[in-house]
Amino acid sequence: MDYQMVPSICPYCGVGCGVLLEVIDGKLAGTLPLKTHPNNEGKLCIKGWNLHEHVVSDNRLLFPLVKEEGRFREVAWDEAIEISAKRLKAIIEEFGPDSVGVLTSAKMTNEANYLIQKFSRAAIGTNNVDHCARL
Amino acid sequence: MNMMHEIVKEWLEQEKIDLFIGYKVVDGHPLPCFFTRENIDDVDNLVESKARYPLEKIAAKVYSTHPEMKIGILARDCNQRALNVLYVWNQLDPEKIETVGINCCPSPAREHADCSYLEREPSGPLKTLIGIENNLKPEQAEVYSQEERFKRWSYEFEKCIKCYGCRNICPVCFCKECSLEHSDLIKKGELPVEIPIFHLVRAVHMAGRCIDCGLCEDACPANIPLRLLYREVNQITARLFDYRAGTDSGQSPFSILGENVTLEPMSL
Amino acid sequence: MTNSMKEFEDSGCIFVIGSNTTETHPIIAGRIMTAKEKGAKLIVADPRNIHLAEFADIVVHHRLGSDVALLNGMMHVIVKNGWHDDKHIEERTEGFSDLEEVLEDYTPKKVEAITGVGCVDIERMAEMYAGNHPAALLYAMGITQHTTGVDNVKSCCNLAMLCGNVGVRSGGVNPLRGQSNVQGACDMGGLPNVFPGYQPVADQTANEKFSNAWGKALPERAGLTLTDMVKGMGDGRIKALCVFGENPKLSDPDSGHLDHVLKKLDFLLVQDLYMTETAADADVFFAGASVAEEDGTYTNTERRCMRGNKAIDPLGKALPDWDIICRLSSAMGYAMDYSCPEEIFDEMTSLTPSYGGMTYERLGINGLQWPCPGKDHPGTPYLHKDNFSRGKGKFHAVKYLDPDEMPDEDYPFFLTTGRMFSHYHTGTMTRVSPHLHSEQKSGYIEVSPKDAGDMMLNDGENVRVLSRRGQIEVPVKITSRVGEGLLFSPFHFRENPINRLTNPAFDPIAKIPEFKVCAVKLEKIAE
Repeated sequence: MDYQMVPSICPYCGVGCGVLLEVIDGKLAGTLPLKTHPNNEGKLCIKGWNLHEHVVSDNRLLFPLVKEEGRFREVAWDEAIEISAKRLKAIIEEFGPDSVGVLTSAKMTNEANYLIQKFSRAAIGTNNVDHCARL
Repeated sequence: MNMMHEIVKEWLEQEKIDLFIGYKVVDGHPLPCFFTRENIDDVDNLVESKARYPLEKIAAKVYSTHPEMKIGILARDCNQRALNVLYVWNQLDPEKIETVGINCCPSPAREHADCSYLEREPSGPLKTLIGIENNLKPEQAEVYSQEERFKRWSYEFEKCIKCYGCRNICPVCFCKECSLEHSDLIKKGELPVEIPIFHLVRAVHMAGRCIDCGLCEDACPANIPLRLLYREVNQITARLFDYRAGTDSGQSPFSILGENVTLEPMSL
Repeated sequence: MTNSMKEFEDSGCIFVIGSNTTETHPIIAGRIMTAKEKGAKLIVADPRNIHLAEFADIVVHHRLGSDVALLNGMMHVIVKNGWHDDKHIEERTEGFSDLEEVLEDYTPKKVEAITGVGCVDIERMAEMYAGNHPAALLYAMGITQHTTGVDNVKSCCNLAMLCGNVGVRSGGVNPLRGQSNVQGACDMGGLPNVFPGYQPVADQTANEKFSNAWGKALPERAGLTLTDMVKGMGDGRIKALCVFGENPKLSDPDSGHLDHVLKKLDFLLVQDLYMTETAADADVFFAGASVAEEDGTYTNTERRCMRGNKAIDPLGKALPDWDIICRLSSAMGYAMDYSCPEEIFDEMTSLTPSYGGMTYERLGINGLQWPCPGKDHPGTPYLHKDNFSRGKGKFHAVKYLDPDEMPDEDYPFFLTTGRMFSHYHTGTMTRVSPHLHSEQKSGYIEVSPKDAGDMMLNDGENVRVLSRRGQIEVPVKITSRVGEGLLFSPFHFRENPINRLTNPAFDPIAKIPEFKVCAVKLEKIAE
């Protein structure tokens, strides 16, 4: 029997309510408001209270896919990465780095966002990086 | 190490309990935490915590998957009352629970004198004028005329953002299916919630069950005086059936309800 | 936001314009209600009769897209009555006379003709906002998602500066961010023209700094915005697109067009949690991790950078987002070998002055609000306390312009879009969540009782909605939330993709599309 309450941040909307993720025997089992958090002081909206549900949903896609002749095939990470790198490199070589666009995410962490723009600017060599904040 | 730490360590070592549910401070925030034999030194970090979480609800969750476990629990008066209700409704087995009682902070505003942190700032002038002050006692709220009371409560219910937090945090809410989510009873998908049905349906289900811990009100983003509302229905229960949830050990007078409808408690 | 959420509880007046706060930022709505109960005045301006309006001292439903006129009208009244803050204007701002000149024209009478808000209400709003210091102005996408989005924001700032509400506790101009890390994505340089911390890519010093730090000469010309990328995909300049955790096929305006251009790409890479509409078109799909499965930081609407902690290992073969990017970058020949998010964070803070004083240890659970330039700096609850970042606050003389598309004989209804309380964005996360899904299972379009009566529509009946860009079918919801001639529909539902209808016309500066206004017609579907 293992039980953990892990403090985290609600991913819905920009308020950033403090939550506690309830983990029982390694499984995400529930969400509670973090009662002493300065943003929400122990309160949540309906989305925050149910945030664990989107994580454990059966609809999650939990492996990389590659499309071949119009159909997706499950592949190992190495293959997915290799195919993507090869395709991107070929396009950059032929059409230049500014033929690639990158959309980063307003839902991902700062660390992921930092790396995505670094990847765009340093690895691809383009400033064509934007995100959906306007939408 | 204080007395509480000694007791919990002793219980764990002597296998009187398999785990203890209390609080531990992480980055300045008290969080619910499990203390076990494997990490017995961690018990030194056990604290009482002013911030309260429904520890007994967590215990019931453990019990539903690990019924063999013996659980120790840090218990204020309110936790103790909640445990009693959960025993009555067969959500927990009293044989499997050991409590370490802690003193509640005295508070002149609260009959139950639970914890000082719950004492709110006095209500703002507008709330006093058109709403219901959170610190009122039931008899104080009854001085308004019928019409006036309805208007004031309607104002409070109007603020609801339908988070269901009052139900979610409630230590004695354990129905598998909840009447609040029955679309036949209550219209879905809109704000404000249906007034007054949403809150009255919940209030009715709190009769003979609410142990007046105030966690619901504390979780309410709209500051609705839920504690007062449920106290009112509990007073009716006390008057009609001479039953006080959480302190009387007998079956709730409402346990006759709902064998096959939405009130059915989770099977064990 | 210039200010912090908690401060609103002590405001003298809260002016909410273009934000359906109880549904989209419920916790902030709670603070507004508290403020109101403590004695603050509340003004709500929204084309729809939103839930928050029930609590307001003054509610106005201005015509879609008429925000600049409404705000100019308020300022006209304030200046005419001498309610503005001369001292603040004198000491802290510039350009007031230009604004004054433009305001001259915006008499309540003229503004009434544009906005549909009565002269008396405009005067009352002005008096209430100016007379209850400090006043906090709150807005959301109702202000920004317009062809005049930047003008709208400038007008909000004009109003706040006019009454000395910038640089004061419980005041300010406060855009409520819609997604958990919009603020962070911008701060981190997820924009075509700036590096992290808004350091321009075209600035030689900044470019050298990042080129040195990253060991590579970096491009100096600003890149394309999303809006321009879509254009680029159409004309063949953009050949490959990498989409991380977004679903533009449902969230972009005129999504029929986007459908079309996505198919023209040579290569589409999508990283997500689910098989979204966009992912279905991908050549390669990367399975990313959810918020519960990785460590990292998020920066909220009040600039507070906070740590999210990993609660469980990534499910299945999913990988943390940062790990996937490291692998891809390394495979492309630019090595990234970070061992953990904290290492990335430390590199970022070393290059980003506003985050310079932050470490994981210092963030703890409460986080820190930028600017936080030094290890001993406590963070900044509200901005512009003594100075604006540019020195003096600049008034912008802004004139009202009509939205790009107005109703006409062919398309007589105004359509606006947004969220509802139990769903989020394109619904990918919320529609798979049983409790949220059960609250609202399908899309809908709000129609006023009068219009529904005229067209003999019943509640729940499917209706056809057409714009110049496309058509969809969607169930009718008859409600007084909308007035005559106005329709509203949420964009969460793929079965009723309302963005097939919306107008891709965008603000020339911010490149934000005009989601909030387009012209449509309704057709009853024959039995």
